[in-house]
Amino acid sequence: MTPTSVARKTLLAAVPLLAALFLSAAGQPTVHVAPMDSVGPRPVEQQTRSSIVRDYLQAWQSMGTALGENRPDLLDASFVGLAKDKLADTIREQRSLGIASSYRDQSHDLQVVFYSPEGLSIQLLDTVEYDVEVRDHGKTVGTQHVRTRYVAVLTPTESRWKVRVFQSGS
Amino acid sequence: MRSWVTLLCALIVVVTVPGLAGHASAQASDLRFPQKVEAGTAFSVSTTGSGSATLYIIGPGDTIRRVVHLGESISFGPDDLHNAGHYVAFLVSGSSTQNAQFEVTASHQAATLSFLAKPSRLPVNLPNGVSGVAYVFDIFRNLILQPQQISFELSDSSGRAQIRSATSRDGVAWVKMNSAAKAGPAQFQAEVASVRNKRVIQQVPGDPCSIRMTAHGLGQKDKARVALETEPVRDCNGNPVPDGTIVTFTETYQGGQSMVDVPLKRGVAKTELPSHNGAVISVASGVVMGNEIRWSGGL
Amino acid sequence: MTGSRLLGIILIIATVVLVVMGTIHPNQSGAMIADSRARLIGSASSPQDAVNNLMQQIGRRTWEAAYASLANKGEFTETEFVRDLNGNYGSLRSYANLDGFDSQPLRASGDEAQVRARMRWASVVGIFEDSRDLRVVRNGSQWEVAWPIVREAKVPPQVIPVNYLRWDVVYRGAEDDWGAQDVEAPHVRIIAMHPVDRGGGVVILGEVLNEDVVPAFVTVKASLLGSNGSTLATEDSFDKISHILLPKQVSPFRIDFRNVRLSQVDSVRIQPSANLVAASADPVIGIEGQKLTPLPDSSLTGSLVNQSGQVVNVAHVIGTFYDNKGQIVWVADQYPSRALLPQTPVPFTISLPADVSNKVGSYRVVASTYSSSRFQ
Repeated sequence: MTPTSVARKTLLAAVPLLAALFLSAAGQPTVHVAPMDSVGPRPVEQQTRSSIVRDYLQAWQSMGTALGENRPDLLDASFVGLAKDKLADTIREQRSLGIASSYRDQSHDLQVVFYSPEGLSIQLLDTVEYDVEVRDHGKTVGTQHVRTRYVAVLTPTESRWKVRVFQSGS
Repeated sequence: MRSWVTLLCALIVVVTVPGLAGHASAQASDLRFPQKVEAGTAFSVSTTGSGSATLYIIGPGDTIRRVVHLGESISFGPDDLHNAGHYVAFLVSGSSTQNAQFEVTASHQAATLSFLAKPSRLPVNLPNGVSGVAYVFDIFRNLILQPQQISFELSDSSGRAQIRSATSRDGVAWVKMNSAAKAGPAQFQAEVASVRNKRVIQQVPGDPCSIRMTAHGLGQKDKARVALETEPVRDCNGNPVPDGTIVTFTETYQGGQSMVDVPLKRGVAKTELPSHNGAVISVASGVVMGNEIRWSGGL
Repeated sequence: MTGSRLLGIILIIATVVLVVMGTIHPNQSGAMIADSRARLIGSASSPQDAVNNLMQQIGRRTWEAAYASLANKGEFTETEFVRDLNGNYGSLRSYANLDGFDSQPLRASGDEAQVRARMRWASVVGIFEDSRDLRVVRNGSQWEVAWPIVREAKVPPQVIPVNYLRWDVVYRGAEDDWGAQDVEAPHVRIIAMHPVDRGGGVVILGEVLNEDVVPAFVTVKASLLGSNGSTLATEDSFDKISHILLPKQVSPFRIDFRNVRLSQVDSVRIQPSANLVAASADPVIGIEGQKLTPLPDSSLTGSLVNQSGQVVNVAHVIGTFYDNKGQIVWVADQYPSRALLPQTPVPFTISLPADVSNKVGSYRVVASTYSSSRFQ
């Protein structure tokens, strides 16, 4: 076996691995949703089951972009009330310090734990893994991998569910 | 050649997946933060080494950047971190970075309640018709995830009260209660520790019950018409049905029919219809039927 | 002179002759009313010409000329004539235009004839028809129409006591305060629903009840679902419903779907929606003397009596027709063209399809009203 053939074989073997790593880094987070059949006190409607997950994951995307670009207006689509106020405050702090943080969610393990009797709030727990990268005036400070649990309360608006309480920790 | 290929692969992996670089540096952690800190409490973190460094604390709720002196402890006051959540910390000194993660938890002391009471209006005597949902927050508006005992009280206009207690789970507690038999505004209150939140529930009369009407001729005033009037209309619990409720009078006679939708005013509905001898006059409200009269005083 | 030159001259002469003939004897059809250049017949030399001339003048709103042409103008004033045709009190007629007319001779003698004129008026709620049997009399060589005036009822001066009752609504406002209460939307309920196959489409007939203690603005939307659960079509009741329902009031509704066959429909999803609105409990409208007219003019007739003291500009009458088992077989409506003056009967006619007419065992009529100062 010549050194050239070894190099070729090594490169060929590395291509699928590199592709998988690349896709995993740039792709959507993996999402697991626990069954909602026993959620109470109000049964979760079929339409709500899909929309609540879709809107919550969209909220993560909105938050990631808003904190990464320091643009509080991007929160409007997915956040309301308390959650929006707190995230907007953080963005203002970041902007005044010249800091930006990028949140890249990698996996979500979602469990709906409460759907209020009148259908006006739904609470879910999310064991989430994400990377947070911090930049100071454009220079990378560092990146950390985080695994934690989020508690989110979503409330219905005219067109979608929006996150009203968004808090990590146990 | 082999070493060149290996170097190339490693380079591609590092460039393509920047997260891996972060993971590598994140594992080199010497910064010792407490695992959990209660929101609004002071704490300090010790550092090693010498010279100055920059400390970054980043979370969805707060952002801090501070220049610190290595070898001294870093102090945080009660106002520095008050939003509950998971935070990452970086201590950057020259080319070296120390990492840490920690949690800020909600205070145990409830300060506000978000109380969702529904509906704001419902008929009397409806079992489990009223629902109350309470979310408990601390003074910094963090959801208190530790269980809290919440008391719910629904008192009607006569002062009679139903009291239920519920323990919050993940920050929320809820109850369902019956509406009272007596119509009127009811006070619905949720209370945790000494924090109260109040709502008003309008308990309104139910469907009319046994509607009764009378008919009489108008005499010389207008012999061609008959005057109809109900007795005061009440629901099955004796509550007067609100004014504005529609009562329908229908008069059926040979080959024709007359009808009129009349709103209750001062508890009764009254109207006039053409008088037809032998006509059958009925009264109804919604899907509730009242009595029938065979009119024999017509033209 | 060559043959082709001769042909050219003949064609020019023929064209001139045709233009002159067309100018002297224009086509007098009702469809020409909208054309302002349409010309009147030079002289009313026949009863039908007289009627056609009058209709043209009415269509152009040349009231003075129309009134001047009448045989019996001494019996009423020009104002009364205009009010007869053009309405008053902001009624439907006030905003309507004559869209067309037909005239049909009924009988004729040497000096007098009778012609039926059917006027089609275009209004904001569609076309309504006004049919008058006109007496036409000879006056020398001309014919003149004796207009059958319908005088507006005069309400005697009086005081009508009304305990005015209305609901006003105060909403909580746009401020986002989680948990803060807002006024509850009214609760409404569908109490009857019946889909029928009709005219190559599907018609949903039903009734909706406001079971709350507050007024509701109600709309009913229906979706036809196929066997695989897919939505075939979605429509709403538009104006075939009484939108404002006071507490415990019932309204019929009709939703028309074109181009869907009942055989394609597996189920129907009905979505009533209700909003709390400010409303008034007045005026009260009696619907008196309701009578079914059998074929061939199958219809329900009656009169609306405004029992309150307030003028109603426009009324809307909706009839629900049931078979002998109490099943709804049809819902139809009409907008009477005249305003409802206090205590003054105004007739209405709800037309019924011939095939439905035979099935009707009972019926129920509701009236909703619109006044210029408010919406009820």
